[in-house]
Amino acid sequence: MSITTTGNLGPMILQSLAPAMLYVPTPTMNYITVCDKVSMPANGGTTCRFMRPRALQPPTVQLGNSGIDPPAQVPQRDIIDAQMAFFGTGCIINEQVILQDQEGVLAWVSERLAVAMRQAEDLILRDYIVSAASEINAGGGSNGFNPTNLGVSDFSLVATTLDTNNAYKFMTGIEGMDRFGTGPVRSAYFMLSSTELQSDFDALVGSGFLNQWNYPTNASALPSEYGSVYNIRILTSSEAPVARNAVANSSGTLNDLYYNTVLGKQAITHINQDGYSMNLIYRDPYYSGMLAQNATLAVKFAQAQAITQDTAIRQLLCTRQSNLGV
Amino acid sequence: MTEYSRMAKGSFTASASTAIINLPFIPDYVEVNNYTNIAAAAAASKTLRAFWDNTLIVSSNNPTMLEGYSSGSVMVGDVIATNGISTFYAGLSQQFGPAQQVVASTKGNTTSFQVTGHGYQVGDTVIFRGLFQSATTGMPQMNGIPFTITTITDANNFVVNYNSNNAAYTNLSASPASAFVEKVLYPFLYVPQDNVITAITTGSTTTITTSMYHNFEVGQEVAFRIPNAWGTTQLNSLPNLVIPGSPVYGYVISVTDNWTFVVNINSSAYTAFTTNIAVASVPGLTFPQVVPVGDVNTGGNVIFSGSSLYPAPRFPTSSSRVSTINGPAIRGAFVNNTSQGFIIGAGTATNNTSIKIMAANDVIEWRAFLHDYSSP
Repeated sequence: MSITTTGNLGPMILQSLAPAMLYVPTPTMNYITVCDKVSMPANGGTTCRFMRPRALQPPTVQLGNSGIDPPAQVPQRDIIDAQMAFFGTGCIINEQVILQDQEGVLAWVSERLAVAMRQAEDLILRDYIVSAASEINAGGGSNGFNPTNLGVSDFSLVATTLDTNNAYKFMTGIEGMDRFGTGPVRSAYFMLSSTELQSDFDALVGSGFLNQWNYPTNASALPSEYGSVYNIRILTSSEAPVARNAVANSSGTLNDLYYNTVLGKQAITHINQDGYSMNLIYRDPYYSGMLAQNATLAVKFAQAQAITQDTAIRQLLCTRQSNLGV
Repeated sequence: MTEYSRMAKGSFTASASTAIINLPFIPDYVEVNNYTNIAAAAAASKTLRAFWDNTLIVSSNNPTMLEGYSSGSVMVGDVIATNGISTFYAGLSQQFGPAQQVVASTKGNTTSFQVTGHGYQVGDTVIFRGLFQSATTGMPQMNGIPFTITTITDANNFVVNYNSNNAAYTNLSASPASAFVEKVLYPFLYVPQDNVITAITTGSTTTITTSMYHNFEVGQEVAFRIPNAWGTTQLNSLPNLVIPGSPVYGYVISVTDNWTFVVNINSSAYTAFTTNIAVASVPGLTFPQVVPVGDVNTGGNVIFSGSSLYPAPRFPTSSSRVSTINGPAIRGAFVNNTSQGFIIGAGTATNNTSIKIMAANDVIEWRAFLHDYSSP
């Protein structure tokens, strides 16, 4: 008896494309989330200028009965400038690709370009903050490095610093509810951290860390929010800055250095110019050469950034309790 | 010409044996002509022309090819295996060169480090880690601070701006197991930036020395963050005892050099700055810092010979200044300084190790290409 199998009568076409594309691993983009947003006008020059009035001295000396006015104060202000910069990238796609590929190449390439642009916005902000914001080394942990791993006292210290600087918190508190395992959440600043620190946060459960799942309600929690410690709510992302093996103790053991950005409202401002952001540009092959072979897809955007309240931002540098090798 | 290729050309007079050329693309082929050597009579060990192709890989190297004069002043070909022409993409921070062992250090008003064949130059920014001689001795107070090198003593020694001349510091010796240094590849992607303070001279005005190029301009508004351990906490922008809550800022009134500037704060009565901090206090030690806040400027950079009327911002601050690739901006503004292009390195040739691509004062003409089609 002869049995016909795929070994001697295989399918004419061996593969078919699964109905949906696989997801593209993409970090959460926290930096753009916490920025103030400002748009420079068209024909507005190259530089966005911010003005912040300075406080006048409170008149605490009584006038007395002399009838003489006190000397006038001279109002002053701080000027902060940021220069606009332009960015862009694109793809050149031959018409044969568009003609022959089974998937909508232009559609998914457009999507990728858009994500690349948004990620560029976030990375620029990330690196700018690393460059320009002042730093506090964590000292509340016990691992002996400088900085140490995060201890709850570090959260307290940074929040105290920002409070003392009269920074504005982002979030109002969440009142406690009669639900098992939950606890009230304080009004809070945001801290932008690495996902690699989540195990260290978990180690602080019972010492002050409250997982987002243990909020009385997580209606106000952001998608990347991992939890809170005292007056700081923690957003994590895999793209948060890390300097690998940047710290060593006396025995030569290495640890990674993490930059946790703790900030209040208006600390960082993201600036675009006249909506010159998220320009997706498609040029038909008609515009390329005499045989019109290649289409182009590109994105471009304009962006500037500034620390607009230097008193409302600190980078809390830390190492991990132990390097887990991930 | 093909449709999507990129071509660029230019010329400059070399200030050293290395140069960075910013371009709007990353080239795959570069040619460099050394006009000075071409125009001169035949001389020993001189490069006339160098060229580099990014697809040419030999023994895991991407060599630079040379045409020049041998040690006997005869026209020959040669190759620079490493550190010839290369490309760079300065778009992301936290990129570092290889870690190199610190062999020894010498404390003093500035601090000297011995690193065998370090390969650094004045202006390179480095970060140390693990500067322990033992668990309780060494110079770990300097760990993690970015230092722009001030002096190259020789091929194995260099100096940074840090006063370690006190009892808290012990010289390193015999290559401590933990002590390493790395070069920060792109330290000034955004300027001006947060700076670590290494010295303060108090007086009717206040002179600040930073660990790396401060990149501040005259008119820059700055704030101080000085923890108690370092002394001069009265400079801190907060607290303000006169107007509670209102930050106290200073303005840069003069720039002495790339590491030093003067602010208009009268610090005559302030506590002296100190680096005398015990090793035992290092865990949790936060560094003294000065951060840019704003500026009082209203126009472009100071006009200098050969500049355009409204030039792009330039860095570092006072010497060997390089323009950013952006257009005009206000002096002291926050500026994006990311860039890409190619580097002419100081590597020497394989057969004649006296040959470099160029030397200081050579007139260089270059061309860079990004081709539409490359095989492979």
